[in-house]
Amino acid sequence: MKTKKGFMLRSVGGRHVVVAVGKASEEFNGLITLNDSGAFLWNALAEGCTYDELLAKMLETYEVTEMTARAGLDQFLETARGAGLIVDD
Amino acid sequence: MYNIAGINVDMAPKYPRTLRQSEAYLTDEASESDIRIRLSDEFLEHKQRENPHLTIEDCEYIWLGSEFYELLPEFGGLLLHSSAVVYKGEGFLFSAPCGTGKSTHTQIWLKRFEGAYILNDDKPAIRLTKDGFYVYGTPFSGKTDLNVNEGVPLRGICMLERGKENSIEKADPEAALFGILNQTVRPVSEERMDKLLKILDKLITTVPVYKLCCNMELEAAEVSYRGMTQNR
Repeated sequence: MKTKKGFMLRSVGGRHVVVAVGKASEEFNGLITLNDSGAFLWNALAEGCTYDELLAKMLETYEVTEMTARAGLDQFLETARGAGLIVDD
Repeated sequence: MYNIAGINVDMAPKYPRTLRQSEAYLTDEASESDIRIRLSDEFLEHKQRENPHLTIEDCEYIWLGSEFYELLPEFGGLLLHSSAVVYKGEGFLFSAPCGTGKSTHTQIWLKRFEGAYILNDDKPAIRLTKDGFYVYGTPFSGKTDLNVNEGVPLRGICMLERGKENSIEKADPEAALFGILNQTVRPVSEERMDKLLKILDKLITTVPVYKLCCNMELEAAEVSYRGMTQNR
């Protein structure tokens, strides 16, 4: 899976924000803000990766148990999928 | 040749409204252009058919402006849909969706503060210069045609809302960003969006952005002026 084409993450005013460009901007004219771990996951997803790879990256970077990491990851993916920001290959 | 917000714009307006509005921005014909804008008759006729409430003259005025504003991020700048008032040499911007009362608020400033004047009543240009952020009048100023060919340091930006009472507070960065992005031209290309976001990053970390609730009393101008200047 990966982030949908046309959505870009940038740091603006100390916040992580996602905006749409190109074709995607015809459908989405808003602004999404992410927290630090959300931005971390977004960057990993931007290159495309599997669920297990994402989980491994999280466990490498954050000092959390696998259970906590899974819960956070699942929640992020659910929200991001719900907003149509992630596509599966 | 015209010089708008410090940018040499090679444009050739044909209709009286744009000619009249741009006159104060005429510059040396021999200067090198930074931007060249040409709108064909076909394009203007097409726009007029799409927007039957506009005259062809209005179309020229609106779309010349929109071409100019789209290119601003290439010059370290952006449009902010707002009414810009100058007082004591500094620029104060009041931004809001159409019909909220931006111009009404700056007109109260003119009544309340002697020497205050409108720089651009609807679409001022903001640019990052070596002396910090400046706000500029442009020929493109919306319905009221109020603008002055001048640039002044940008003191603050207010996101304006109507209210019964007058109050002002700092906007959090997210609200500031959201407010500004909703009242500017969003670039469609990733490259230009990237430039715009870099400028916005500097803008909201160096120029204070406020949330202003205001009514139409003279006190409204006092509250916004005080709120935007007591942090010097």
